[in-house]
Amino acid sequence: MSQGQTGAELRLVTPGMAIGPLSGKRVGSGALAQNEQIIATRLGWVRELNDTVSVDPINSTYMPRSGDLIIAIVAEVRNNLWFMNVNGPFQGLLPMSLAPWKVEFGAARQHMGIGDVVMARIQEVDECHNVVLTMKGVGLRRLNEGSVMTIPVNHVERIRGNNNETLLRLRDVCDCRIMVGDNGRVWIDGSAEGTSWARSAIKLASQSGHKLSFAADLAALEKNAPKRGDA
Amino acid sequence: MVALVPTLLRQELARLAENDARIDGRGRWEARDITLETDCLYNGEGSAKVVWGDTIVYAGVKFEMRTPWPDRPNQGSLMCGAELRPVAGRKYEPGPPSPESIELGRVVDRGIRESGCIDMESLCIVPGEKVWGVMIDIHVLSDQGNIFDACALAAIAALRTATVPAERFDVGEDHTLKVNGTPIMASFTRVGGRYVFDPTEEEELGGDERIHITLGDEGHLHSLQKGLKGVFTPEEFAEIFDVAQSRCADLRKLVANQEGN
Amino acid sequence: MGGYGDVKLLREDGLRLDGRKIDEMRPIEIEAGYLPAADGSAWVKHGLNVAVAAVYGPMEAHPRKIQRQDRCVIDVRYNMAPFSTSDRIRPGYNRRSREISKVTAEALESVVICERYPRSKIRVEIEILSAEAGTRCVGITAAAVALADAGIPMRDLLVGVASGKVEDTVVLDLDKAEDNYGQADLPVGILPNTGEIAFLQMDGDLSPDEFNLAMEYNFKAAAEIHDIMVDALKRRYEGGEN
Repeated sequence: MSQGQTGAELRLVTPGMAIGPLSGKRVGSGALAQNEQIIATRLGWVRELNDTVSVDPINSTYMPRSGDLIIAIVAEVRNNLWFMNVNGPFQGLLPMSLAPWKVEFGAARQHMGIGDVVMARIQEVDECHNVVLTMKGVGLRRLNEGSVMTIPVNHVERIRGNNNETLLRLRDVCDCRIMVGDNGRVWIDGSAEGTSWARSAIKLASQSGHKLSFAADLAALEKNAPKRGDA
Repeated sequence: MVALVPTLLRQELARLAENDARIDGRGRWEARDITLETDCLYNGEGSAKVVWGDTIVYAGVKFEMRTPWPDRPNQGSLMCGAELRPVAGRKYEPGPPSPESIELGRVVDRGIRESGCIDMESLCIVPGEKVWGVMIDIHVLSDQGNIFDACALAAIAALRTATVPAERFDVGEDHTLKVNGTPIMASFTRVGGRYVFDPTEEEELGGDERIHITLGDEGHLHSLQKGLKGVFTPEEFAEIFDVAQSRCADLRKLVANQEGN
Repeated sequence: MGGYGDVKLLREDGLRLDGRKIDEMRPIEIEAGYLPAADGSAWVKHGLNVAVAAVYGPMEAHPRKIQRQDRCVIDVRYNMAPFSTSDRIRPGYNRRSREISKVTAEALESVVICERYPRSKIRVEIEILSAEAGTRCVGITAAAVALADAGIPMRDLLVGVASGKVEDTVVLDLDKAEDNYGQADLPVGILPNTGEIAFLQMDGDLSPDEFNLAMEYNFKAAAEIHDIMVDALKRRYEGGEN
């Protein structure tokens, strides 16, 4: 049995499994009501909060939401817009009006080409899953240095930790800039050794950040970290 | 089947290469963990499964009885093919056999065939009438880099542990297929500007051309292939040819150890 | 009177050739998350059948013509590896596989909450590595575990199972000899939670009573298989392993 952060036992459910009687409770995401029962629809952990029963999925695909801060990659370029790979089912659109530069019609390619990596925000998502991105905003820019790795979207919280505790600690140890996108992409910028270490640390946090053993595992990894001040 | 290559990836691979480092911390000529299992498919007369890092491939050997080709009445035949089906990865879209899967099958085939490890005359049952046709089918379940080497390893391991199904065809007793030698493939990909052994999927994504070298037991070349866009120098080739000797020797040991079981 | 020639499929003691009782299933093993890079995956061994299923998606539905505005489509490829059967199968277009892919997709579309992902498709790749009768059922079971592993929302875990008839006796879970020389085959896909049926095929000769008995066996086995599917998913993720 695994332990949640509060120490309460978590219950793993599979699609179709009965969670409990409906009894006036509200049904949240990952579950549905059927014949006075609440049934799980996804593989995940049961969560009951304020009389709402839902299931926290173990695995899920990235579904963009307005306001998300993400790392995107240019997939296609047109005269006045870019199609962006946002690590979700659909590509997002970045129109020239929301780019950080003043772009002339037809000149989009001069600013960004296929494969360029950017920090952007999700401006808007409609019911048909059309996604619009914006790069107008603080910190939103093309990323010219650094490296990108991808982790499961569900693990993003583990990398950040409580109040970004884990993230700050990682940054400190390897002396790198680390930015975790809401879409599961992580950007690391630092020395070669620092980046290498950060990659392993993020992988560790992604796999075990929620476990009780994580603190000890991370401490062990820190022992092998490149020492700051070494040229 | 065109994957999106992030600019930062190629930059990072180049920087790593300058520091003689790789993205997963391995040495330049170092392989990931490999496990080899034979005799693992019920209906295959020979079979092997290779788990190489996160790459997973199966090879199956099937025998058929056929009439020989008129110009080679005393010889059987050997055929090797590979399937790179959509199961192998997100980038593999459904459709007819891709040039990549055809190349994969043919390159593995040449390595085994040209080594002469199968004596075609030993596959003769009744001259001019009945011969064995040996068919190796390779099936990639997970492509996470270096499928060529994984497939070649699975193919030769399956072949070397194959049983000729003489009883089923009523032409004698079942016996182990006679295979002389163990041709082994070692592939090198240009990553970050220099050749490395056993690239991961990420290294292949950000990398360039690849060279496949199949060596026999004595270290002789039995087949070569250069794939994808890029050029190399004779010096670069000499270096990887040299490294291939030891990589192939290691893999050959893996096959031998498996047969011992 | 039982089948072709004089192949006897039931022994004197009433047991089957492999020693099973008439309502006994072959052993089944399931592993979730078998393929490291798929969004979801499963490995299923049932008797001597071995199936591997991979799920990729949801992703944008291409080509445009298969796209539906209000929901996702389930795009299934059921394929038998050339070495999976006693006689080698030539790789390439296979009408039987094409049909099984279609009805499996339709069964899964009845279980997956497709409205959640309009204009998308979910790829389900079913590869049969070893075949010993009942491969379409093993494929369904593997696909269901893989879909759950991928986090795809579903009303239930679809379970594939088959019963049939040999020597005028209804039996559960035909093996190869029974499938080849028997008198009927009834593969189904069952939603264990509600008892609904999403996949149904049949060939051979069954009276209404025999059909009912075969379905009874199928339902009983489906419950057992379902437990093993749940166990496979739990083993992968419980203990906070992932």
